[in-house]
Amino acid sequence: MSFVEANPGQAVFRLSMEGVEQIDASFASEAIVELVRRYRCNKGICLVDLLDPELRFNIDLAAARVNVPVAIWNGNVIEMIGGQPSQGNREALEYALKRPYARAAELADTLSLSIANASTKFKQLWEQGFLMRSESAADSGGVEFLYRRIG
Amino acid sequence: MMATAPQPSECVIALPGGWVKARKFEDALRRSGDALGGPFTSVLIQVPADCKLMVDVIIRLLSFCNQAAAMTKRIRLQFAEGSESLRGYLSRIGFFDHLLPTVEVHPARPLFSGADLHRGGNSGLVEIARFSGTKAADHDLVDNLAATAHRSCVARTDAAALKNAVFTIFAELIGNVSEHSQSSLDAFAVLQTYAGGNQVRMAVSDSGTGILQTLRPALQAKGDAAAVLSDVHLLVEMFRKGVSRLDDDSRGNGLAACASHAVRFQAELDVRLLNQRVLLIPSNNVFQPNMAYSQEELPLLWGTHISFSLKIA
Repeated sequence: MSFVEANPGQAVFRLSMEGVEQIDASFASEAIVELVRRYRCNKGICLVDLLDPELRFNIDLAAARVNVPVAIWNGNVIEMIGGQPSQGNREALEYALKRPYARAAELADTLSLSIANASTKFKQLWEQGFLMRSESAADSGGVEFLYRRIG
Repeated sequence: MMATAPQPSECVIALPGGWVKARKFEDALRRSGDALGGPFTSVLIQVPADCKLMVDVIIRLLSFCNQAAAMTKRIRLQFAEGSESLRGYLSRIGFFDHLLPTVEVHPARPLFSGADLHRGGNSGLVEIARFSGTKAADHDLVDNLAATAHRSCVARTDAAALKNAVFTIFAELIGNVSEHSQSSLDAFAVLQTYAGGNQVRMAVSDSGTGILQTLRPALQAKGDAAAVLSDVHLLVEMFRKGVSRLDDDSRGNGLAACASHAVRFQAELDVRLLNQRVLLIPSNNVFQPNMAYSQEELPLLWGTHISFSLKIA
């Protein structure tokens, strides 16, 4: 946590689990999941090198218990463990996880939704910690949000 | 003139023969009256020749004897003639090493500790380890317990999962004793594999205040709805969802994590509280109140005594 605080300009932190052999339930909840939750909406904290299925099981359990999604990267593939999106937001999340950036207008187009509806889905996913977002200039001249994967 | 019946001063507990699991042990305690909570000044435990005690019962018995001794009751363990193999096993597992010196053993305590002679030599057994609410467990203890469980089934595909389960469960149970039991009497942990390695039985026994006695007032203080649940329902909630004494919901999930690991091995969970024993059997991969079997109004036993029996068949 002090490392995150010491780097205020950094938006993404990748925690490597390489060399970790065993963690207990308290460490999974209080160190890893709590860190991800604390910086939700502000920083993107994801896990890398999490190849051990048992370590992954422990973090998944701890995160699911408090409904906090945790992003893990295996090479170029991202996967969310722990908290899961509502049924209604599942497709929107899958869409966003497949590309580097996603805009509400494109999601609306792909899933045949209104832009307001697509926008709400992405906003909820951001608030719940599934996605990061930043502002960018829209083609129309206003501001629109760019949503992206954590990591 | 009012007649008064003389109070018996000695409580006689006759353990049964054959395999003694928690239920049989508690039945024997109940039949003999309230040894610790009653007015008895002396307690005699009779152990028949063909008695075989499961490890969780052994550390429960150990805590019971030490509690009686700490209450300055005279306590005797009377082994029948022909019980050499049980005494040998108890010595091997370290039972006599942790039995308070004022507990009398008949015919005699072993001259040498089998645990000291053979420590670590059996791939399916971790000798009884001692720690307490005021003295933390040995740093390597949980790793050793997990490594032993792993060794006992190393060829199996789920060996890593078993190791993780054993590590998680002991880390939590032992950590809980250090944090909450508030007792200077020793607590104990033990692990034994049975039936050709198809069952791993692990247990932690402490002589502290009792898990619900520390949890319930804290829940009442923070206005948690779980505070009014019955003992059995509260216990099930602790293992099912996690219940925290604190407002911080990142805490208090450890027992629920233990349960999630345990149900992967269809584990039965046995919990002895001050006056009650609850057996939880998983159904649809969770522990539920309707699959809880309770023995109530049992004689007093201080502390919390938890055992998990993992099936790896």
